[in-house]
Amino acid sequence: MLRFILRRLGISALILVLGSVFLFFITVFSGDPLEDLRESRDRNREQLMEARIRNMNLNDPWYVRYWTWAVGVGKCITLNCDLGTDSRGSDINTALVNAAGSTLRLVTLATVLAIIIGITMGILAAIRQYSGFDYIVTFAAFLFFSLPVFWVAVLLKEYGAIRFNNWIADPSVSLTAAIIIGLLFGLVLASLLGGDLRRKLLTFAVAGLVAFGAITYFDMVSWWRQPALGLGLIILVALGAGVLLTYLTVGRTNRKIFYAALTTIVAGVIGTFVFGGWITEPTYPLLLLMFAISIVSAIVIGWFWGGWDKRIAIWVSIGTAVAFGLATILDQLLRNWGPFLERKPRPISTIGSGSPNFEGPFWTGVWDWGVQLILPTVVLTVISLASYSRYTRASMLETIRQDYVRTARSKGLSERVVITKHALRNALIPITTIVAFDFAGLIGGAVVTETVFGWKGMGALFQEGLTRVDPGPVMAFYLVTGTAAVLMNMIADIAYAFLDPRIRT
Amino acid sequence: MAIVAAGALVLSACTSGTSEDDPTNEDGQGTEAEGDGEGTAAPGDDDAETTSEGGEAGGEGQTSKPDLGDITTKDDNIFYSVGADEWAGLNANTTETNSVYNQVVSGRLGSSFWYYGTDGTIYPDTDFGTYKVTSEDPLTVEYTISDEAVWEDGTPITYNDFLFDWAANNPPSIFGEPPAEDDPAAEDFVPAFNNVASDWGIYVPEGPQGELDGKTFTIEYPEPYPDYTLMVGGALPAHVAAEQSGMTPEELVTAIQEGDAEAIMPAAEFWNTGWLSPDKTLPDPMIAQSSGPYTIDAAKGAEWSQGEYITLGPNDKYWGPPPATSNLTFRFAAPETHVQALSNGDLNIIEPQATVDTVQQIEALGDSVTMETGESMTFEHLDFNFAEGSPWHEDNGGLAAREAFALCVPRQQIVDNLIKPITEDAVVMNSREVFPFQEGYEEHVAAIYDGRYDQVDLEAAKAKFEESGLEEGTEIRIGYGAGNQRRVNEVALIKASCDQVGFNIVDASAPGLGDVLSSGDWEIALFAWAGSGTVTGSAFWYESDGAGNYGGWVNEAADAAWETISTTLDEEVQKEQLAIVETEAWNTLHSIPVFAHPGVIAYDSTLDNVIHNSSQTGVAWNAEQWVRTE
Repeated sequence: MLRFILRRLGISALILVLGSVFLFFITVFSGDPLEDLRESRDRNREQLMEARIRNMNLNDPWYVRYWTWAVGVGKCITLNCDLGTDSRGSDINTALVNAAGSTLRLVTLATVLAIIIGITMGILAAIRQYSGFDYIVTFAAFLFFSLPVFWVAVLLKEYGAIRFNNWIADPSVSLTAAIIIGLLFGLVLASLLGGDLRRKLLTFAVAGLVAFGAITYFDMVSWWRQPALGLGLIILVALGAGVLLTYLTVGRTNRKIFYAALTTIVAGVIGTFVFGGWITEPTYPLLLLMFAISIVSAIVIGWFWGGWDKRIAIWVSIGTAVAFGLATILDQLLRNWGPFLERKPRPISTIGSGSPNFEGPFWTGVWDWGVQLILPTVVLTVISLASYSRYTRASMLETIRQDYVRTARSKGLSERVVITKHALRNALIPITTIVAFDFAGLIGGAVVTETVFGWKGMGALFQEGLTRVDPGPVMAFYLVTGTAAVLMNMIADIAYAFLDPRIRT
Repeated sequence: MAIVAAGALVLSACTSGTSEDDPTNEDGQGTEAEGDGEGTAAPGDDDAETTSEGGEAGGEGQTSKPDLGDITTKDDNIFYSVGADEWAGLNANTTETNSVYNQVVSGRLGSSFWYYGTDGTIYPDTDFGTYKVTSEDPLTVEYTISDEAVWEDGTPITYNDFLFDWAANNPPSIFGEPPAEDDPAAEDFVPAFNNVASDWGIYVPEGPQGELDGKTFTIEYPEPYPDYTLMVGGALPAHVAAEQSGMTPEELVTAIQEGDAEAIMPAAEFWNTGWLSPDKTLPDPMIAQSSGPYTIDAAKGAEWSQGEYITLGPNDKYWGPPPATSNLTFRFAAPETHVQALSNGDLNIIEPQATVDTVQQIEALGDSVTMETGESMTFEHLDFNFAEGSPWHEDNGGLAAREAFALCVPRQQIVDNLIKPITEDAVVMNSREVFPFQEGYEEHVAAIYDGRYDQVDLEAAKAKFEESGLEEGTEIRIGYGAGNQRRVNEVALIKASCDQVGFNIVDASAPGLGDVLSSGDWEIALFAWAGSGTVTGSAFWYESDGAGNYGGWVNEAADAAWETISTTLDEEVQKEQLAIVETEAWNTLHSIPVFAHPGVIAYDSTLDNVIHNSSQTGVAWNAEQWVRTE
């Protein structure tokens, strides 16, 4: 194994070095770094040119400049990187740290969402192969995959930000819109849940009516501007999570697991009252503290209820507690939507990661940066959704047709156990490669998204460097994304070897 | 981007306060300008006798700042963005920070003896001080700083600050001559002050004369210097530099007066770095002190969110008219996001790239947004290559060939098709030195050009082509920096017309204008001169050995005329001589001017006093007057 890793490392390093030489070369020759000054008739144009030539060492041939850069990067070994200065003499190290931070904030959530939603969609599509749902997912995946990012982002800004802001000023949903939403919701749910025609029709009718009713109700009580969940709904959400988790893990065989989940919910309700003050006016440390308390309580509850299956009981408890916590946060957020709108009448900005000079209580502050994440996250998620759902579907289908799955079925295991225990776990092995790859790719892929939404991340760094024909920032971008790609790729390989015993030779 | 970016030494091009109702402007060289202190320019419409109605913002014919009367600062915040570049620090004169992006913020934090009006005219800012010529031989200018003018900590703005500003120009009288370019020492030479400006040090070897802590000083030019108005603008707080480098202001002044380079070095070191903010957080307000209507003092509402925006607060120590709006926020957003941001209220004022698409997008936003189009001080032109072997060279086609080309270039069509959709008032530009929107343009053009190339005349062009003796199908490569769609279209239009005459126009764009120009692989170069600004600045385009004379035009009469211009203060003489240069440029076809680049601003219709400015200062030139009416 060690030899394998070392060999991989060596090859990766070589690739990185060659790539850097190539990128440096093409950046340097992509244009004229003094172009703007050449059209200038300023008196001090010569001085400006000289200063820039000095800053960028333009008098040296490109390989000398590359060497200077490489030597600076070499200092990274002693954790003392020197990425040089850009064409305007500012320090690239600082710029890189800031940009990387901003991009990570943007990309992390999108990646996690894309993984969860994409894999779920893929699995469901595979289980319901050739159903309406499958076709919808396939269609959507290909559609999203082929959409130009720039275009989607600009459209989202138009509809998700500008029009939404216009709408939220005086929100109302027309009857036709409510009907259409109800129909769509019903359709999706019916095709998703499947069954025979009668059952499908029933699901369609019930789901459609519920959606239609909810929207009309929201509209009547002006929920759009003053939403809330309320304790009842919070409990319902947590209960749903508890039931789902229990079903996925042990099914209906071990009641104790379900009781653990129920006890967790009761504890959560008690906690809501005990920590009421903290919840409405928290700080980040307080939130973390409450989170820790709820996890510990969940573990304790799971331990006591678990009996012979303590491990699963603990996990289900934790899952329920997390769901409860998230629902509580959502509730607080919704309650603060109104106050937030008062402070910021047009809630979603088209640029930036927050509104200038925002002041308000904690939860409105969360809204302020939270809403700014929505649109770019949607763009990034939608793009990588396609590959996840397609790969998962293919991998899942392949696994389901394997002999051992048939064996599992024939020995009388329930469909749930066959899918979750036997098929899913093996189907997920190839997905690890894509997850690792995608994360590395997303950092680079965020170039366009960042630009359109005005985030100063790695994309901006790269783009500005390229427009100025300034290799410094471009190479800094490469250093991070290239290393991330190579590292992630390697991690995927190693993880693969660990997950799949067949490869471990 | 390319056009905008080239800011130059910024003697605080923008100033605060409203100008007087009648800026008599005895010394105003009506010059076109960039938002930099010492641009260059052609004179032309000098003696900018401004109409002095005052009153209405941007009233017809008024190019100075409107008079708003008594101002009460409104507690509000206006969002504006130039681009994605962050503010780099108060000192916008270092080689690193000298850009429009930096200047737009730094300019709000300082005042100056003058500012650029909407047509590039230079107006004195009498709130800051006054200046007048006391002697023409040698040229002596006396500056008086307003008695009320103070830095944020209450220290008066005095001669000390301007003496230090002069020293920051690396005057050879203190630091010695810098090594010549071919000198091996030049490679490692680093000037004491990392300043983009040096003219003041070179042309005024003795520096400003005055007394310690005095409010007046004089400047004496050993040689006539037509651009003296631009020489002195604003300054940085010298007492801060002194204190931060362990001196008293007195010691610093003495050190400079005595030319003690050694003693100045710590202050120079501070000048180079102390007013910069590389860590992108608000600097100490007692170091980065403002002399303008706004401040970066966090206690007064300033805020800097890294990579996002910087908000300025009102400077209560500012003695001039207070700002109309208490806070200005400069957001660091890429230009392509500006239109949508305006429509969503994330930005209130934008100055986007003037393209047909942008204009249509803004028009589609309806009445809630007001758009103004105009022209900027950047103009497109076609340069001939006179190199040996070129068809324009006298041995080959010569003048007749150039005339044939000038006759077939569809300038009117280019303007009609490409510029008028953006700004309806666009016209073909017939001068290289005076812009169509400037006063005196008609007069100047009448003196230099008879309109012979106004219309495309293919018959006449064919005749000239025949006369030149060029072969049918002579290849004419039009070189320009790739990536500009408008220029692609221009070349296509020229090709459609000139190919009929016998030329074979080839689109020879390549990445990098500099490489294109220096390679010489072109018969025609298509590019723009940004701004200009001073009287003598564009000389380098015409002079036989000028650095901007890429085509290699040689004309003795023009050389002599520039010589005269650069040594006279008489505006009439400058005007006359400039007419000689341009007449020569038309008669022997040095180049063909095409159009002034269009400029667009758009703003939330609830805002008042937002006025388009053609100089590179841009729409922010009177930012302290912006106010929401509701």
